[in-house]
Amino acid sequence: MRSHKLRKRVDMAASLLAVGCVLVALIPLVSILVEVIRNGAPMLSWEFITDRTTSGVGNAILGSLQIVMYAAFIGLPVGILTGIYISEFGNNRMGSTIRFFNDVMANFPSIVVGLLVYAMLIVYLGMTYSIIVASVALSIIMIPIVANTTEESLKMVPNSLREGALALGVPRWRTVLKVVLSNGRSGVITGALLAVARVAGETAPLILTTMFSYFWTVSPNEPSAALPTLIFNYAMGYSSLTVDEAMRHAWGAALVLIMLVLSLNVSVRLLSMRRFKKNHKGARRWRTRLSLKA
Amino acid sequence: MKEASTQSSSGQREKIAMPHRGGNRAFIIIALVVVAIVVIAAAFATGMLSLGSDKGTVTLTGAGATFPMPLILKWADEYYNETDGKVKVNYGGGGSGAGITQIKDQTVVFAGTDAPLSGDESSQYGLVHIPETLGAVVVAFNVPGLATLKLDGDTLAKIFMKNITKWNDPAIVALNAGASLPDNDIQTVVRSDSSGTTFVFTGYLEIVSSEFASIYGQAKSLTWPGAIGASGNPGVTSTVKSTSYSIGYIELSYAMQNEIPFAQLKNKDGNFVVASLDTTSAAAAAAGASLPAGGGDWSNVNILNAPGSDSYPIASFTYILVYKELYDDATKLNKTAAEALVDFLWWMVHDEAQSWADDLYYAPLPASVVALNEATLEALTYQGEPVL
Repeated sequence: MRSHKLRKRVDMAASLLAVGCVLVALIPLVSILVEVIRNGAPMLSWEFITDRTTSGVGNAILGSLQIVMYAAFIGLPVGILTGIYISEFGNNRMGSTIRFFNDVMANFPSIVVGLLVYAMLIVYLGMTYSIIVASVALSIIMIPIVANTTEESLKMVPNSLREGALALGVPRWRTVLKVVLSNGRSGVITGALLAVARVAGETAPLILTTMFSYFWTVSPNEPSAALPTLIFNYAMGYSSLTVDEAMRHAWGAALVLIMLVLSLNVSVRLLSMRRFKKNHKGARRWRTRLSLKA
Repeated sequence: MKEASTQSSSGQREKIAMPHRGGNRAFIIIALVVVAIVVIAAAFATGMLSLGSDKGTVTLTGAGATFPMPLILKWADEYYNETDGKVKVNYGGGGSGAGITQIKDQTVVFAGTDAPLSGDESSQYGLVHIPETLGAVVVAFNVPGLATLKLDGDTLAKIFMKNITKWNDPAIVALNAGASLPDNDIQTVVRSDSSGTTFVFTGYLEIVSSEFASIYGQAKSLTWPGAIGASGNPGVTSTVKSTSYSIGYIELSYAMQNEIPFAQLKNKDGNFVVASLDTTSAAAAAAGASLPAGGGDWSNVNILNAPGSDSYPIASFTYILVYKELYDDATKLNKTAAEALVDFLWWMVHDEAQSWADDLYYAPLPASVVALNEATLEALTYQGEPVL
């Protein structure tokens, strides 16, 4: 048997290694944040956020919000319903097939999705580059993510609840809607918001589907600017600004985009944390009330 | 558990089935919202509904060459103000090749390209060329202590072919009497991506060096010996800027904006010429008389190594492609949009718009080319009727 001292040292070394790895993993995150804030923060001003290109990025923010909103409109219902199906009714060959293809779809590179939508809607159907075409592309990326998270969170709902409802004579569909979905709601919402945050930063499909615009766009049938495409175009020098100015705008836009995505992510975490706590308290209150009645 | 509490009061059986109070209404509302949203989205997708695009405004979409992109975007911006927000012109990059594909597929109403179409292609598709501005490719260098450099075509070709490898090579010294040239290796910097700039630059080398013509030839991209590859004009610009003893080719506008020194080149008349907007325009003016009509065959047009004492030798046109007949059964471009497009193109090749070119370091069109474009635009038709 090795000496106590040696074992202590090995333990120490392993701990150090683990901490070191964590630090290495943190380097990119921290350096990205620091770099973006350092370069982007000086750009931030009311005009930068509210003016259209080229004095600000307002139209790109509006474009991004519209694209993501329509994508959520199209993708979330389909994704959530798919998730419900494979969780609640998918215990058969059909369900496992859908689950399999859903997993395959989740791993599609986003550029391939963009290309598919471009080929189908723009080249084949003859639609113009527009917000709605981009939303279709993003919704296709969203669907498998949302379906997965929905399935996972519904699976967490204890079977006893389903059995309880069914035993009371509640129809299957009502059980799913009222019992299963209500209890898994927080997970479903979290998954949906995370999927929204995930597609908000997608660039490749947008380049193929919305093109770019210098102007305010409110019609979903027109090309539009979006934050990721604006960053891409400016960084590549595709703007009427000078190269340095375009770079500064790109950094500013990057900061705005990161802030949007991070705030979405953080609010999801806070929300689910609070709900978790509330649930605990609520459950306790419920129990005490029940015991009083009894 | 909730059921347990309500079960005692009889006559409320309906509620028993509702484990979560209020859930019913909420779900109906959510379901209605979802259905409404899907219907609205579908309506938008099929074009039945379109917000904001009221009758008065027109959106024109183009794509293609990235070289004139800053200028076209600037024009779009100015034209939007000029027309009180009535005409929105959007231009996406993607490169000359992508632009040509997209106008053939009719996914855009105009395309930008640096390389002209072949005669067959333009007549088969009925596309016309409208040269909208001029560009010049300059040879940027970074040699500490050296501010000016004179080169001729042959020496330039040899440098990029690695036949000349030192800055103090006799050929360079002979052209630069009195300059202190260091005994360092020359590092060439080239475009790693397929590019119109490379196409123009290699086109020039092909004309001035038979050796280059036989080994490499004109191409959008090629395998250069021992060069650093960088992506896009910005990439080459920053690589040259940060690499001592390097030399690379970039668009004039990038050299000017980034204040990077570039070489004077010996032109056909034997003069050393500094690339500038004037010397670029001079090259086009010299070639102006021999240009074909807009609907003709532009494939052989080049203003490289143009004659004239002030002509800068590496200059090129960049073109807008549009259909001669703007109506098409497949796209159903409406008349208002067709008129707006032709008006925009007309405005674009004339004085006011051309003066914006100056600010962004693009050379304004010489009068002979403007006249040519006017004739081309006047010949454009909508369902057989002239648009202008």
